[in-house]
Amino acid sequence: MENKHQVPVTVLTGFLGAGKTTLLNRILTEQHGQKYAVIVNEFGEQGIDNDLVVDADEEVFEMNNGCICCTVRGDLIRILSGLMKRADKLDAIIVETTGLADPAPVAQTFFVDQDVANKTKLDAIVTVADAVHLSSQIEDHHEAEEQIAFGDVILLNKIDLVKDENIDVVTKRIRKINPFAKIIKTTKCGAPLKEILNLDAFSLKRILEVEPDFLESDHDHEHDDDVTSLSFVSDKPLDMEKFQNWFGKLLQTKGQDIMRTKGILDFKGENDRYVFQGVHMLMDASPMGKWPDDKERSSRLVFIGRNLETMNLKEGFEACKSE
Amino acid sequence: MTTDLNQFPQLDKTKFEQRGIQLEIGVPVTCAVSIGNYIAAGFGDGTIRIFSSGEKHKTLKAHKGVILCMAKDGDNILTGGDDGYFLKISLNGEINEVTNFGSRWVDHVAAHNGNLVCSSGKVVYYWDKNKKEPKSLNHDSTIGGLAFDARGRRLAVSRYGGVTVWKKDYSNKWKSTKLDWKGSHNKVSFSPDGKYLVTSMQENVLRCWRLKDKLDFAMSGYGSKVKSFAFIDDTSYLATSGAIDAICWPFDGEGPMGRKPICLPYIGNKQVTFIEPFPDEKAIFAGLSDGSVFLSQIENENNTIIIRSFTGSEVSAIAMTDDKSSIFIGDMSGNTLWTSIWDQ
Repeated sequence: MENKHQVPVTVLTGFLGAGKTTLLNRILTEQHGQKYAVIVNEFGEQGIDNDLVVDADEEVFEMNNGCICCTVRGDLIRILSGLMKRADKLDAIIVETTGLADPAPVAQTFFVDQDVANKTKLDAIVTVADAVHLSSQIEDHHEAEEQIAFGDVILLNKIDLVKDENIDVVTKRIRKINPFAKIIKTTKCGAPLKEILNLDAFSLKRILEVEPDFLESDHDHEHDDDVTSLSFVSDKPLDMEKFQNWFGKLLQTKGQDIMRTKGILDFKGENDRYVFQGVHMLMDASPMGKWPDDKERSSRLVFIGRNLETMNLKEGFEACKSE
Repeated sequence: MTTDLNQFPQLDKTKFEQRGIQLEIGVPVTCAVSIGNYIAAGFGDGTIRIFSSGEKHKTLKAHKGVILCMAKDGDNILTGGDDGYFLKISLNGEINEVTNFGSRWVDHVAAHNGNLVCSSGKVVYYWDKNKKEPKSLNHDSTIGGLAFDARGRRLAVSRYGGVTVWKKDYSNKWKSTKLDWKGSHNKVSFSPDGKYLVTSMQENVLRCWRLKDKLDFAMSGYGSKVKSFAFIDDTSYLATSGAIDAICWPFDGEGPMGRKPICLPYIGNKQVTFIEPFPDEKAIFAGLSDGSVFLSQIENENNTIIIRSFTGSEVSAIAMTDDKSSIFIGDMSGNTLWTSIWDQ
């Protein structure tokens, strides 16, 4: 029998000093009886209390497939394939990235490498953000912005050190970058672990479940290189061919600036819902069964990225509506 | 693990399975090498099993974690593990530590004429047989593979961005030459005649350099990563995994450029995951993703026999004894077969 069991991988990201290691140690001490492998960078901030800690080098490789934004974590491919040969079965794997890491190559590794995709699955990207310093970090470091953009869950940590009105300011800033991440406000990363682990945030099924989080939003921009999000809804069915042409070309030409996409699509003449999600140019898409009877058919599409306002997304999407 | 037999064609046991010894170890087989008429196999729990005909196999606890790599050094077995140990193990079970890197994995090992090498991270360590301390050879990225040429004069180290070929000059100093090609290079091998160097890449492609003029070319068209390849019958063919056929590139004469490979098909349309040469013949053992193993003559595709039927788990090791009498097969679920090849 081919073994279809995939070990979930949680990626912990966040800027220097935000509290990644605090969260990691909480996970490891509270999840008794679970066998975890923890992949850390050798320049990790403090000690980690686990039997199985693997030092990684965060080697980001370009894939030689003609797609310049397609980068992967080469060390992760090697380490995950080694871990899958172990005698004891792992319950989960946690990858802690360095404070200055871009999460995209980690996520893309799970799309690009077949062996990794067969035996493990990306569960969620969890971003730990420092409520005190996040606003200035976002201004000064594009990595901090990217980590917010890629998060499925964002732990807004150290809220005990910030006034309430300032928490609202930071929350709004996060929402502007990433409207569909779950924001959890914490001190010392004290969030329930069930909101952090085993989320299956990258499964297409899960995208249907978090549907209510899709927001229609339109933002003003402060800087051209700000990461923002845009979303679109259409009650009129889309033309599949037109959509594929437009969207394929869009990812091909603007994939570097488009960080994440998610969508549920209603195509004319099709009974099934089509669900997709993507990281830069890479995409995972599939029909996901019939539309439920109690739900209106409609298409929803969310983009997170830079320079979105220059891509004529609204016009492009409108033009995909069927005649 | 449950096996739904209805999903697979009902096959009888092959005659090799009937007369051989089949074990269900339950731990992935990660590697195997032949040492004379013995086969040493490494497992995901750090054990080594040594098989020989007429004796019960011997089990040794060698590493604390996964045995990641294995090579032969004369009559000894060299192993590297995710426990950071590089070990030298004799056939009667004596285990000697060559070195240990703590939490760093030993990813690759190789040996030639008593000189040992291993890689851990970005560094290759070379032990001259007459010296106690190793020489470190540094690289800019993590090492994907190691290989000596047939005479042990050159050491190829594959990495991100190409291959570094190390060679000692007349004053016994290490000199390196770089063969560059963008992308991540994994397994590496010299052709037995020393004329070519081949790597398998992260992308579904092989890169080859003709060493006399550094002319490089790709061998492509694969449906998945090429995890296993081997030169066959000296340098007649390069047989490769990574497709539903075993792909055999002709390397005789002027080499493979502009020539088509021979594609050996197997029943069931499963991916070929492991290739092992049948020594001195234009023939290969091909292991598939469903655990089945076939022996094929390259130039006669009708001459294929099934050695092991499916187990449902990817073939991860095949090794034949030096006297060509017996073979060992292992897969990722720990199903093994040890059998004689010839009918009595």
